[in-house]
Amino acid sequence: MEVDRELVEAAQAGDRWALEELVRRTHRSVYTCALRLVGNPDDAADVTQDVYLRVVRKLGGFRHEAAFSTWLNRVTTNVAMSTLKRRTRRFAVEGAAVPADTRDPAPEPAERAEAVALARRLEGLVAGLPEGQRQVLVLRDIYGQSTEEVANAMGLTPGAVKVRLFRARERLKAELESAEGGQVVALAGRRRATGRRS
Amino acid sequence: MTSCHSIRPLLPARAEELTVFESRSRADHVAACARCATEAAAYSRLGHALAVMANLEVDPADGTLERVLVAIGRRRTGVTDPRLLAAAGSAGALVATVVVARAVRHRRQAGPPARPAPRPRRLRIPHLPVPTPALARAK
Repeated sequence: MEVDRELVEAAQAGDRWALEELVRRTHRSVYTCALRLVGNPDDAADVTQDVYLRVVRKLGGFRHEAAFSTWLNRVTTNVAMSTLKRRTRRFAVEGAAVPADTRDPAPEPAERAEAVALARRLEGLVAGLPEGQRQVLVLRDIYGQSTEEVANAMGLTPGAVKVRLFRARERLKAELESAEGGQVVALAGRRRATGRRS
Repeated sequence: MTSCHSIRPLLPARAEELTVFESRSRADHVAACARCATEAAAYSRLGHALAVMANLEVDPADGTLERVLVAIGRRRTGVTDPRLLAAAGSAGALVATVVVARAVRHRRQAGPPARPAPRPRRLRIPHLPVPTPALARAK
């Protein structure tokens, strides 16, 4: 998510076009973060809308001390967490919706391609984590928030965040190894089958 | 050498999440233990891939962007800079003061308020002595 300082400043000064452009450039990233946190496309769309309503109210207070994307991620986190607290547990969310298709807006250099491919595979595995573990992992490991920031956003102690994070990483690694092992086995089986036919 | 059992909880952690002592213990153990080195490498690979996920984007459902733009168009105050809002507030207060002052001056210049229209006169009935039985008896 690339946002120029000039664009943010123009939006802060009340330029309607600049504000809309800011939304156009950032809404996918906000939606993706919301989806990873709330785990439901409908709630993620609501969170996205609420994020920008809050952005309109608070943009004047943004002092460019951090990157705009960092600030926007924090706003998204806070709105998503408020939404989750409000949300009645109509359905026990044990594993969120898997994003249908992720895309990398940055060009892929060769050395990045493997990490991007792995990240795409991880998307589904992350969505399958229990809600509490998933949120901690998303905020800490994907969006790089500090343990204290995650604890504040989620109303947990830093110790509780570390415990959840440890379990989430351990589980994710195990599931990734299992998935990759499964892939290797499947490929080997297909090769054997192809070999027999030929 | 520290045991694998005591190092295992440190393997998923990032370097900045460990104390200097924990970090050194992990490095020493991983340097000497092939199994834990493999585990540490797997966590490192996982960490890099998770960081890459921050740049992957999902396309929201059709209409989400339009919905957001309509919502902020309704709510938008135009100017959001607090300094500009403060200046606008002061200007508004000044205009309100001027308007009230002019209204008060105008009322004063117009003189006292007009008298209410006189009520229709009622016929006055003269007070007439009414003869009572007691008076008649006295006479």
